[in-house]
Amino acid sequence: MRIEIKDLHYTYPGDVKALKGISLTIESGEQVAIVGQNGAGKTTLVKHLNGLLQPTSGSVLIGEWSTTEETVAKLASRVGYVFQNPDEQLFTKNVHQEVSFGPKNLGYESEKVEALVEDALTLTKLSDQKETNPYDLSPTWRKMVALASIISMDTPIIIFDEPTTGQDAANIERMANAIAALRERGKTVITITHDIDFCAENFERVIALAKGKVLLDGSANAVLGQEEILAQTYVDPPQLTRLGLRLGMKEVVRNQEEFLNAYKKHAA
Amino acid sequence: MCRRRKYLLLHFSLQVRFTMNLDRSFYVPAKSILHSLNPLTKLTLVFALISFAFFSFPWMAPVLILPVFIMGFVGKVQKQYLNVFAKLILPAIGFMFIMQSLFLPGGETLVFKFSIFDIYTETIRTAFLTVSRIFVMISSFTLLLLTTHPSELMSDLTGRGLPGQFAYVIISTLQIIPQMQAKAQTIIAAQRSRGLDTQSTFRKRVGALVPLVGPLVFGSLVEVEERAIAIEARGFTSNRTKTSLYEIPDSSFDKALRWVLVLLVIISIVSRIWLS
Amino acid sequence: MAIVNLKNVTYKYPLTDTLVLDGINLQIEEGEFVAVVGPNGAGKSTLCYMLAGFVPHFYKGELTGTVEVAGVETQESSLNEWVMNVGLAFQNPFNQISGAKYTVFEEIAFGLENIGVPRKDMKERVERALEMTGILDLAERSPYSLSGGQQQRVALTSILVMEPKVLVLDEPTSQMDPIGTREVFGVIRTMAERGMTVVLAEHKMEWIAQFADRVIALHEGKILLDGKPGEVLTSELLDGKGFGISRYTSTAREAQEQSLWPNNKNLPVTLDEAVEGFTPNPSPSPLKGG
Repeated sequence: MRIEIKDLHYTYPGDVKALKGISLTIESGEQVAIVGQNGAGKTTLVKHLNGLLQPTSGSVLIGEWSTTEETVAKLASRVGYVFQNPDEQLFTKNVHQEVSFGPKNLGYESEKVEALVEDALTLTKLSDQKETNPYDLSPTWRKMVALASIISMDTPIIIFDEPTTGQDAANIERMANAIAALRERGKTVITITHDIDFCAENFERVIALAKGKVLLDGSANAVLGQEEILAQTYVDPPQLTRLGLRLGMKEVVRNQEEFLNAYKKHAA
Repeated sequence: MCRRRKYLLLHFSLQVRFTMNLDRSFYVPAKSILHSLNPLTKLTLVFALISFAFFSFPWMAPVLILPVFIMGFVGKVQKQYLNVFAKLILPAIGFMFIMQSLFLPGGETLVFKFSIFDIYTETIRTAFLTVSRIFVMISSFTLLLLTTHPSELMSDLTGRGLPGQFAYVIISTLQIIPQMQAKAQTIIAAQRSRGLDTQSTFRKRVGALVPLVGPLVFGSLVEVEERAIAIEARGFTSNRTKTSLYEIPDSSFDKALRWVLVLLVIISIVSRIWLS
Repeated sequence: MAIVNLKNVTYKYPLTDTLVLDGINLQIEEGEFVAVVGPNGAGKSTLCYMLAGFVPHFYKGELTGTVEVAGVETQESSLNEWVMNVGLAFQNPFNQISGAKYTVFEEIAFGLENIGVPRKDMKERVERALEMTGILDLAERSPYSLSGGQQQRVALTSILVMEPKVLVLDEPTSQMDPIGTREVFGVIRTMAERGMTVVLAEHKMEWIAQFADRVIALHEGKILLDGKPGEVLTSELLDGKGFGISRYTSTAREAQEQSLWPNNKNLPVTLDEAVEGFTPNPSPSPLKGG
């Protein structure tokens, strides 16, 4: 399912111009990270994808649907959105019910809902917590419940808003695994993140936003090495990328494997 | 622009306007006599006006209508007061007036007929009386809130013995309201993104209440615990005598005025009992 | 004289069976800057709340062993005494705003009002605190109009104004964006440099390695390691237990296996250390063996 954004402008009430002409295309199955300082327009942009916000001018197409012609509830069948704070979504008495909420809203029959729920719980390592009340879980696990609730909707496109904030390494790894599984299934995964290492290790394409416009858009290796430009929107390159740049390596690397391979050539 | 987009824009802008009203407190900063009065004095004035209107002679309430309006000008908050009057007070008492005029029993002198309703002078008079009492009460509280910053009011009362927890609950509630509204907006957005239908049939919208209220309540409980620890960590439940950053002036004029008001209230009630 | 003294401490929350802290022995000297690392659920927050007296006085539960901080012993005191000596800040800055005050200045004075500081001293103390943490320009703003990083600095200032002897921070930058993180770490570093005893629970190992004096690795309620940042954060004992090891460390370790990192060199935690180790034929440093 392709996403097409054409010359998108958005102005908040009170005349705050949040998006000043964004055009981009995201093909089916791409893994995209959106980075940039707070206020650059990341969340504003992403909220247009499921209709929560409507363009002041310009258009957003999800497949063949225009977001101005469909309700948020309908767009939810194509675009899943995992909000940053799980406590703003969780309300049922157990994990199973919570994860069933999304697919039920989409009108799937009960066998399909069951299957989707099982699958989502397996991906998020929550299969043995079906009967637990979400609020009895730690904040770390509540985050996984929120994740599962959107994965179970089986949407072709799924958006993560700051998935790693406040998480420990173990949970970040779990999330990375879940995202990898989604990638294998051909889902389009879009994430907003400040964790540039997480971004580098899990996403192929990086879009850097600054002041409502696209600053950089390209493959992770191409974008993340551009220290000076990224600094304009208060983004530091990932740890290993920085190391490579400081050592004067020619290739831009973004994870351990790439670094070691490039280093061998460099040191030789 | 399609129909749906117009709806969303209107919806959003109304939300923002409403939020902006409660964002800062109701209070209007200005230099007036009312502003310089001690908060307790103003509170006494409010209760005095209510006593005059409700417990004294019946003609007191209508007579006080004009003075209350004048107080708005004296307090230099006439614009904001008239705004509240037009949007809140007038519709409320107007509605009340019509209902009472149409439905109160005990009329004798018919004034005119309005379809199936008979309207009498006596009912109109009673309705007008009730409505002016309500007007005096709401208006005097409004003027109090317009000319007194809530923290000034609470500081003063706490200094006079109001328990600190009471003042805290009131002020934190006032400040939390816009935050709660913002939170509610996010919850609505999150649940709509899960396919929750908030725009179609009435039945669906009622069914949408639990997923919207649930996170608001549960999420708030989590926050409350942390906030309790935070204020505890700053000595909130310390048993030392509390001091306050600001001194709220209480002049001899204030004290005298309060006594005069109390006296007038007593006189107005006693004379009413005596003369009836 | 240790300002923090924990001996054989175990603790479990009410209505639970698991020991969240299991045999903690910890002494911290005045002026030390101690970082506590560990996966979520290891007991970092509980340890922080214990150092501030909220465990057990607020949370109840069962505590055994001795807990003594700044001369106040847990079993023989009430929460009131603890708040005077130990300052506590935690993850979510929004929840630390009292809601009782309309400006940052008043918010910071809130604590002083509660403990009965005379009015004439209050203004001066608040101004000093605002200058110390660099937020004097926010004094007249509403706390609710601030960014996350600004709010967290207000929270820190509100605690520092009460002049605690120990500052305990439970993941104060977890919810911050990069700018906010920088701002908050800046304040913490200033306080540490002024000689404040600081206990900081954190995940961001690179920063800890640069500025902390000592690191404690907590795992399943026990102290796994306790020592210098360079030693603790590169120890193999941390592997596979959910600690977020710095990528410089894990890459260098892997590089060592492939003979790309000198065998006798300590594993790096920071960028500078990694650059030094990976630079081919570095000029020998006069201080180290080269």
